[in-house]
Amino acid sequence: MRALIAAATGLAVALALVLTLTALGTPAGETSPKPLLTTVPAHP
Amino acid sequence: MRRKAGLILLALAVFFAALSPLVRWYAFPRLAKIPAGQYQDMVLEAKDATLLDYGTMKARKVSKVTIVQTLKGNVEASEKIEKTAGKDVVVWDGLSYVVGPDGKMVSKIPERYIFDAHTQEPVHATGEMVDDDPVKRQGIEFKWPFLTEKRDYEYFDAQARVTAPIHYKGTQNFRGVEVYYFEQTIPWTKVKFPRAMPVEGITPESVAKTGTTRWYTTVRKFWVEPLTGAPVYGEEIHQEELRGGTLLGGRDKVTAFAGHVKMREDYIDHTVDLVKSNRTLVLLMTSYLPWGFLTLGLLLLSLSLYLEARSRRPGDPEPTKDTEPEPVTA
Repeated sequence: MRALIAAATGLAVALALVLTLTALGTPAGETSPKPLLTTVPAHP
Repeated sequence: MRRKAGLILLALAVFFAALSPLVRWYAFPRLAKIPAGQYQDMVLEAKDATLLDYGTMKARKVSKVTIVQTLKGNVEASEKIEKTAGKDVVVWDGLSYVVGPDGKMVSKIPERYIFDAHTQEPVHATGEMVDDDPVKRQGIEFKWPFLTEKRDYEYFDAQARVTAPIHYKGTQNFRGVEVYYFEQTIPWTKVKFPRAMPVEGITPESVAKTGTTRWYTTVRKFWVEPLTGAPVYGEEIHQEELRGGTLLGGRDKVTAFAGHVKMREDYIDHTVDLVKSNRTLVLLMTSYLPWGFLTLGLLLLSLSLYLEARSRRPGDPEPTKDTEPEPVTA
């Protein structure tokens, strides 16, 4: 019984961690202030 | 004590073993995305190209034609579309700006490309366009999806506004990176004149009145890093002709542009370096972490079972039981 509880705890923590991370997602960031280029840049 | 440690190790073993598939098949599709605010530029060159001189309406050889391509992620527009699309969306406002050897504009074609941030599938929303013409893209454009497969894809051609297969032609090594080589041929197709013409006073409408039409064909080549789906190199054998009408002075056709367009060397180096670092991030989520967690989980499980077995050895003292003492009869 104790082993079952330990395994269930491990599984629950793993699920909680992954669900939290994916729910937080990645930041969208901001639109770059740089313009669409109409001149040839010297370098990348 | 040994039993307690065994149980903790078992919990950790299950934690890491469960994380392995969760990271690969649940977290990766949700976290691996093109950033909505990404900005990138690219310079391509066609050396010894043929270009139409609109003054004389004759094709002439020029030393170089340069194409400056910019893609700018529009975060505000993507957030607006995400509300109705119900998924993470990227909106790229792009500009292909073609410059002649004299530094003057040859053509400029703006685009808005809207797509799913993970799968690269196109998303249709108001504002999707090529050169201010509303379009409904099918297939991919500019980038392949993460974990690109060895198969043909549908690729949108912005000049012809058509989607056609881009064929997988094999795996190659490009500057130390394993890449999939794709090739697409767009046969001679009648296409619209760009809204911005290189000569002041000439508009697509005024050219159309002469009966002259614009035709285009291209062979498009991409070398794509399969984990990120990012092209590390691209080439195009591009030809444009003007055909018929009064504008050509009795000629059947005249070349408007012909050239072998290739990425500029410094941009190749920059792209390869960028793709190499992004590739490591994708590998982390699809391979390193899942396999690492699984191995760690199995190790911890073995250790846990070992401790449990040792705690049950016959030579070891029995664990004390908190039982009531038996009553003794006199």
